[in-house]
Amino acid sequence: MKRFFALLLTVVLAPLAHAFDLDQLAAQLAKPAVVRGPFIQEKHLRALPKPLTSTGQFVLSRDLGLLWLLQSPLQQDYRIDGNGIAKRTPQGWQPVPQQNASAQQNRLFLAVLKGDSSGLRQDFELSLSGEASAWTLDLVPRSLLLKQIFTAIQISGGEQVSRIELRETQGDSTVLRLTDSHADSQLSDTDRHAFAD
Amino acid sequence: MLSRIEHWGPRLFTVALVALLALTAWQWRAGAPISANLLELVPSDTPDLLEQRAEKIIAEPLNRELVVLISFPDRQKALRQTAVVGLRWQQEKLFEKVQWDVNYDLAQLRQQLLDSRLALLDSAGRQLLEQDPRAYVERRVQDLFDPFHSQGLLSTEQDWLGLGARIEKSLPHFHNVQVDLSGALLAERDGKTWALLRARTTGDAFDGNLPLAVENLVAQARADIEAQGGELLASSGLLYSAHGQRQATSEISFMGSISSVGALLLMLLAFRRMRVLTALLPAAIGVLAGLTATVAVFGTIHVLTLVLGASLIGVAIDYPLHLLSKSWTLQPWNSWKALRATFLGLTLGLATNVIGYLALAFTPFPALSQVAIFSSAGLLGSYLCAVCLLPALLGKVQIVPWAKPYGLAERLLDWRRRVLRRIGTPWLLLLFLLFCAAGVLQLQHKDDLRQWASTPPALLQQSQAISQIIGFQPTSQFYLVRGKDEEQLLQRQQVLGERLDKLVADGKLKSYMALSQLVAPASEQASLRDSLGRVPAASEALQALGVSREQVQAEVRQLQALPTRNIEQSLAGSLGEPWRSLWLGEAGNGEVAGLVSLQGLSNTELLAAQADGLPGVKLVDRLGQLNRLFAATQISAAELKLASCLLIFALLCLPFGPRGAARVLAVSLLAALASLASLGWLGQPLTLFSLFGLLLVTAIGVDYAIIMRERVGGAATSLLGTLLSALTTWLSFGLLALSSTPAVSNFGLTISIGLAFSFLLSPWAGEHDSHTDKDLVQ
Repeated sequence: MKRFFALLLTVVLAPLAHAFDLDQLAAQLAKPAVVRGPFIQEKHLRALPKPLTSTGQFVLSRDLGLLWLLQSPLQQDYRIDGNGIAKRTPQGWQPVPQQNASAQQNRLFLAVLKGDSSGLRQDFELSLSGEASAWTLDLVPRSLLLKQIFTAIQISGGEQVSRIELRETQGDSTVLRLTDSHADSQLSDTDRHAFAD
Repeated sequence: MLSRIEHWGPRLFTVALVALLALTAWQWRAGAPISANLLELVPSDTPDLLEQRAEKIIAEPLNRELVVLISFPDRQKALRQTAVVGLRWQQEKLFEKVQWDVNYDLAQLRQQLLDSRLALLDSAGRQLLEQDPRAYVERRVQDLFDPFHSQGLLSTEQDWLGLGARIEKSLPHFHNVQVDLSGALLAERDGKTWALLRARTTGDAFDGNLPLAVENLVAQARADIEAQGGELLASSGLLYSAHGQRQATSEISFMGSISSVGALLLMLLAFRRMRVLTALLPAAIGVLAGLTATVAVFGTIHVLTLVLGASLIGVAIDYPLHLLSKSWTLQPWNSWKALRATFLGLTLGLATNVIGYLALAFTPFPALSQVAIFSSAGLLGSYLCAVCLLPALLGKVQIVPWAKPYGLAERLLDWRRRVLRRIGTPWLLLLFLLFCAAGVLQLQHKDDLRQWASTPPALLQQSQAISQIIGFQPTSQFYLVRGKDEEQLLQRQQVLGERLDKLVADGKLKSYMALSQLVAPASEQASLRDSLGRVPAASEALQALGVSREQVQAEVRQLQALPTRNIEQSLAGSLGEPWRSLWLGEAGNGEVAGLVSLQGLSNTELLAAQADGLPGVKLVDRLGQLNRLFAATQISAAELKLASCLLIFALLCLPFGPRGAARVLAVSLLAALASLASLGWLGQPLTLFSLFGLLLVTAIGVDYAIIMRERVGGAATSLLGTLLSALTTWLSFGLLALSSTPAVSNFGLTISIGLAFSFLLSPWAGEHDSHTDKDLVQ
């Protein structure tokens, strides 16, 4: 799941200078200072008849990071920024300890998020199809480590990213829909506050 | 007897010398047998073999691992350049393993995780699952929805209950090191990204030239990286070792050459014949003999011994100087005649010096034993050379010394006589004692192993920076835990672990590693197996997601079928790797043992207190033990001092009688006292090394007193001889005071001050003008 945010951000932030359309896409996605909207996350597990679905709202700031406000089935606010992942508790934002092994992925993507734009091209084979109003970006991992985790990642959208699908080597997949997101020129006061402390 | 020496001495000595050279060559056949391992210098007689084994394990990463961090403003460049360095180092035979990225075999990890879920579940998870299975399942479901909860290596359907995910989370890690998408190891701090590279050498930090070779590679890599605008930090025991070796080599060559050149100039100036330069030969042979004897006894010679041994040149050259100084009165010069006249004095001098040095050998510190063996053998070699070979080498050359010093010496003695007429010796003694008392009162005692090695600030800074950046600070203290079987061992570690957890929570300890963190005792694995049966009935939260109770039951059956794992089995594979070195296995008398290693320590006493009341748990604190041992050794130093004085006294009684012997000894003891007082006045600490320096002051100072008492060739000639040898000895010990190793510098300072006083006091060794100067021509 967390892979999505990072990838989402990467796509938004990364100057994809590969081909002319990648450049365009990068420019297009980098335009709004803030993007916000609802999300639906579906975790498709091979052994389960229906996906694990969670919903909520997100706020993506080009400069500050991402707020992920999970509303159902449980309420929980998350924040990704330069300092890592944090969780809102009654005592304020608590950093989520980032553990080893496969959880390193959290860090991997955070590293990308922190401005390692060229890292994406180093680690994934990128191919873009479609046009500015309806495009699809396919990412195929290059490194041995990543190949053991993902088969492929697919991101699609128009003005904004609208869908991300991640297929895992184990056979599970996760789909993230951002169907109704819209651009904004600035953060709301509450959001700014959430990023500030 | 001496005429026989005249005949046989040169021949026999030449044969012995050839044998010595052959032995030395054989010892050096595989490179210099030089060691920089401080631990070789301190007593290793921990009676407990297990403890010794444990110490080796704990010290190994410090002595064999090299940690390098590379940073560039462009992060990708840092990764690339780190890989370049890593690939280059992989080609080197020095390294057993070079790692700059991870390429886990995830399939193998997954399988291991699946197979040992029951044994490896952390104790908090075990407790929750046993006491409140419903809460456990609810927590698991929350985690499944938590977007930032790592999904883990196992797919969810393999791990509905999340045991695998929990185990993964409890795996240890370098606190700040992350794995990049490509698998590269990265750490970030203060806005800089560092790529991490670790290398493990084939040998350890004390293997011959290995440290220097590693240092060289690091220097090359650093030059490369810096030339491209990057930054490189490196830390390793190997680098400290290399620094120690290099420092010692340069200090030895510096001190050795200055004191040799100084002695050479002094001799040319005084005796004005090129031929007298052969008198340097005994000193050279002395150093050679010392080196060879030390390697023969200890296997290697420590750099500290070498540095201290370099001062031997100054002492060893005394023998030829005594001999040559007789040329001021023995005219026409005849080497063999001079030898005959000074033979007794030289032999007594050798005996007292060797007594002084050998006293060092009886301390529990191999450091001092090495110096003792080196110096005794060196002095013996030098003495033999001076007695057997030197007169033959000097041959029939006529030595007509520079007359001026002789006049100066006479004037000095005259001046002393006049002073003594005005102020009596008792008054001078009183003043002297007052000076000593005031100085001794200001003395401060300080001993620390860190004084034994010079720690270059540049290396220290890098080590500190690295441990901050990657958040890893290994300490040399650890707990040794024993138990009658694995069950008891793990339980004892658990209890200790609970106490340590509190220290970690209070910020007094950064972290620790214990076998009990990895694997549960067999009894707890069994009780977990039993209580798993209650989980399906409490798994409503999973059912709400669509996971049927049958699926949960199937997983529970699988888990229950997993065999109980012992420590050995749990340590296999990559999951157990971080803990592997902590398992000692059989500890003798039917016990098993394991270690608990510590990181980021703040307070040793606090650690010792954690083991209180825990049977089978012991804090091993080598550094602390050593520092306590230093204090204890002072007492033995005093005893040795007394013993060596008695021995020297007995020896001196032979030629001088009890009265004369007491007088000669008193002079050198007063000099040692004055040296001690001077340390106080100078604000220098009294250390183990200065104490042993004082031992030597007595031994060498006795020489001067003997010469002044014997007065072969008259008081002025003897004073000149004493002055010459004192000058060369000062030169070498005074140079030691410049050493960057605090212990060596302290040692040199103590001795040079002591010898200055020995020289000043030596005229008092003679009786009040009641003597008759010995006639040289007899």
